[in-house]
Amino acid sequence: MIVNEWCMYCGECAAVCPRSLIEVRENSLIFNEGCKECRICLKVCPVQALEKEEDSELS
Amino acid sequence: MLIETDILVIGAGPAGSSAAKHAALNGSEVILIDKKSEIGAPKRCAEGVSKEGLKKLKIEPSSRWVTKELSGVLMKAPNGTSVWLNEEKVKLPEAGYILERKVFDKHMAMDAARAGAKIMVKTLATGLERKDDSLIVTAETMGEEFKIKAKIVIGADGPESRVGRWAGLKTTIKPKNMESCAQFEMAGVKMDDPDSIEFHFGSVAPGGYAWLFPKGDDIANVGLGILTTETDKSAYQHLLEFVENCPATQNAQPVELNIGGDPVGGMLKELVTDNFMIVGDAASQVNPLTGGGIISAMEAGLYAGQVAAQAIRDDDCSKAKLKKYQERCEENIGKKFKRDLKVKEYLLSLSDEELNSIAEAFQDIELENINTAELIKNLIKVSPKALLKLGKLF
Repeated sequence: MIVNEWCMYCGECAAVCPRSLIEVRENSLIFNEGCKECRICLKVCPVQALEKEEDSELS
Repeated sequence: MLIETDILVIGAGPAGSSAAKHAALNGSEVILIDKKSEIGAPKRCAEGVSKEGLKKLKIEPSSRWVTKELSGVLMKAPNGTSVWLNEEKVKLPEAGYILERKVFDKHMAMDAARAGAKIMVKTLATGLERKDDSLIVTAETMGEEFKIKAKIVIGADGPESRVGRWAGLKTTIKPKNMESCAQFEMAGVKMDDPDSIEFHFGSVAPGGYAWLFPKGDDIANVGLGILTTETDKSAYQHLLEFVENCPATQNAQPVELNIGGDPVGGMLKELVTDNFMIVGDAASQVNPLTGGGIISAMEAGLYAGQVAAQAIRDDDCSKAKLKKYQERCEENIGKKFKRDLKVKEYLLSLSDEELNSIAEAFQDIELENINTAELIKNLIKVSPKALLKLGKLF
């Protein structure tokens, strides 16, 4: 997962992750192993700060 | 390093500080940790609280953290028709104050400290394990790892609660129950009534609403919450559109951007397990209709603190013993949430046209006479379809 620089670490992605893989620190996000590509985290981000690696390769 | 304590509270927002304060006041040894370097900042909140709520919690309003006293509520339909309720016309349960959360949260933590709680900032919980009749939390502060052994852990770590999951509770929020919010604090805002909070309904905020909460002078929190299941745009994009089109913000400039998720699906079913309790946003203790959660979080914190301290005194931290907390929350908070959840479902089912016609019918109504019969009579006149939808819900 690419966490863009404008991420504000609000933690909404972590709250909806069905596998609880996202860890929110004061100024960083950590994605743990085991992602099943549901993309819920990308969709809920209030500022669209998350991006999948393959999406950015395509564009 | 291993620190031992009776009660560890994780997260120093209003819920955590309230729990820590009341546990300490009732004789327990309490540690309160927060991952941030500054308690209360950045805010993720529109900062409104009810006067009644503060009174019930016996918290004296202070000029240090009250920015504005409110006397009314103005609700706007998509076409701009407004329904204005003020204290002269009707008793408003939500009449209250707009806070300065950064100051308020710190003061609530200070109250916890004065009650005897020990506070550690910039301290992140990274894991939890069960050992005999206690929980051991691994934490990090300034690059140093240590452990805290507690008889009871209270998780107050916000909607993204990891602590709750570690303890085995189901805290994951479904996207349809999560309002995605974005807000500017702005100067130069010209509100219709600077003593009222303003709500805007309809497609400006799909699945939620937009708000203007005055903070005195020309300052206001201007924000909105949306359901990401109802729109393809982000909360921030909706906010930019709202600010561009709202008459009140034509000459306003932002000084702060706040974002975050607000869990509005109603309180979690399981709030306790052995040696563990969950409070505040982490427990979805947020009014599902308004999205407001400061008072309910603090009320739940009060119950959690009291029940936890009693459990320590009785040397019984079992789930059965801590269940008393859940019962008090269900009785005093959960019941109202269940009713409000139905009202929310109704509101969200209405189209822009239906909202307009309802607002037009109610804009001049004499509110002293307001009662269910009167409401239904008016609703039949304006929108039988809206009434039918209402009937289905109750």
